[in-house]
Amino acid sequence: MKKLFTIFSMAAALVLVLAAASGCTAKFDASKNIAVVAREDGSGTKSAFMELIGLKGKADPSGIIIQTGSAGVLAEGKSNPVSIAYESLGYVTGDVKILKVDGVEATVSNIKNGTYKISRPLSVIYKETTLNSDINQAFLDFLKSSNAQTIIESEGFVSIVDAASAYVPNAALSGKITVGGSTSLGDFLMPALKTEFKNLQPNIEIEISGGGSGTGYESAENGLFNFGMISEEFNVTKASSCVAYTVCKDGIAVIVNKSNPLETITISELKSIYDKDAGANAIKKWDVLVK
Amino acid sequence: MRGVFLFCAVFSLLALGCICVFLFINGVPFIGKVGLDNFFGMQWNLHEASYGILSMIVASLYVTALAMIIGVSLGLFTAVALYKFCPPKMVAVIRQLINLLAGIPSVIYGLFGLIIIVPLLRDYVSPNGVGYGILAASIVLSVMVLPTLVGVSLDALNAVPKNYYEGALALGATKEQSVFRIMLPAAKSGIMAAVVLSIGRAIGETMAVIMVIGGSPTIPTSLFQSTRTLTANIAMGATELTGDPKTALIATGVVLFFFTLLLNVSFSLLKGGEKRENKRAQKTGS
Repeated sequence: MKKLFTIFSMAAALVLVLAAASGCTAKFDASKNIAVVAREDGSGTKSAFMELIGLKGKADPSGIIIQTGSAGVLAEGKSNPVSIAYESLGYVTGDVKILKVDGVEATVSNIKNGTYKISRPLSVIYKETTLNSDINQAFLDFLKSSNAQTIIESEGFVSIVDAASAYVPNAALSGKITVGGSTSLGDFLMPALKTEFKNLQPNIEIEISGGGSGTGYESAENGLFNFGMISEEFNVTKASSCVAYTVCKDGIAVIVNKSNPLETITISELKSIYDKDAGANAIKKWDVLVK
Repeated sequence: MRGVFLFCAVFSLLALGCICVFLFINGVPFIGKVGLDNFFGMQWNLHEASYGILSMIVASLYVTALAMIIGVSLGLFTAVALYKFCPPKMVAVIRQLINLLAGIPSVIYGLFGLIIIVPLLRDYVSPNGVGYGILAASIVLSVMVLPTLVGVSLDALNAVPKNYYEGALALGATKEQSVFRIMLPAAKSGIMAAVVLSIGRAIGETMAVIMVIGGSPTIPTSLFQSTRTLTANIAMGATELTGDPKTALIATGVVLFFFTLLLNVSFSLLKGGEKRENKRAQKTGS
């Protein structure tokens, strides 16, 4: 009896471990509910996405899955066969499938020429007085330079400065610049820009911290950071003494699992998925979209 | 030297005082400002200035209750097994291993839940294709509270005078009967203390829960539905929000503080009860 129990429990444990190790290879099933994934309140990606699809200021529909970071969103899209999510195009890896929106592919050129609808500016904001310091002015000049545009493009973002000139280093400058806020800007692009700037100006340190666009506004306004990073259209009421410089543009990609057969989605369909007040128009199941 | 000791003692009091003052100065006026109706309402929508945390209170209670149902049944039987039904040589080893569970950072539990439990529930158990929710969070929490439950209950069992057990055996009770009918009831208050302590851990746990709960501020109607606990609410917005919404998080903290305060007070009461009982038992026993 005792032995039997031991054997049984060990077998159960083995099954559990095997099931876990096999990575749960469930396939797409159109009869299932759409697992709608969103970012948390305060995320720049979220406020930009909701605004761009015409749901500005609306709360999420109930039962939505909230991921507090880009990595979490991508992981969900990769592992959950019935999920739909949105994320910065510059972030999206090959593990998920990017949908066309209104038939337009999410590419750099389509964002630049404005045909891809879900795109937004990534900006740094600062007080006018910040530029009285030579090193801050130098950093801003660098962001406008061709050196920075090259990096912006190689990181998968969309440069909006045409015919920029090269940055002219000034060896006399030294000091520290603090930059913080939006993770859309701060996780990939800003560190890459920092590395390049450090090559040109070895004596200027740049300190990057995260926290989201909310932190970007707050910290630039109260002077905690020299530059705040935001990933939405600059809202002057959130930081009244600041001005913004748009570093680049970023498209927001609509992503689904690789096993999902869907290729394209319209903005009005997205609206029916992400609107809590969609009522009879609400799309809850995949078979409405996948015929 | 005495001054140093005194300073250290006062410092912890000072920290407690500062945190309380911070919570109440920010939180209570905010609750007053938005009104109890709003604050304890159903709607959490920052764009419409609705800060209703009712759904989160409900979710927190559900998660904690289910975690306790799973955890207490597991933990109590483990304690009983270690008490009388296990080769003595293995007891120390198993206890050490269970204690090791307590040393695992909660973010690792969360990661385990996110990568293993949530997909497992989603693909094989859930009827609606959602793995996040109360069940996932409860499973993760029930494992997290095991060290506390097993450790404290086992100590409580060991504190019961041995002659209770021997007396029961002498009267013809089987081993099982003696443990379940005599020893467990005698260790009742200690076990209750273990449960209360675990509830405190479960209701206050943030990182592991946030990763498997989903995060939607809605009243849970199913075990497999994205929802949000009080702790998750605070952690999700803490670095992103500013102004009134941020103060709403502090006010959420006030509510959470009351819950944990209540639990700590009941823990102390139970602990006191246990000491008195043991003293009485020892007097009558010897």
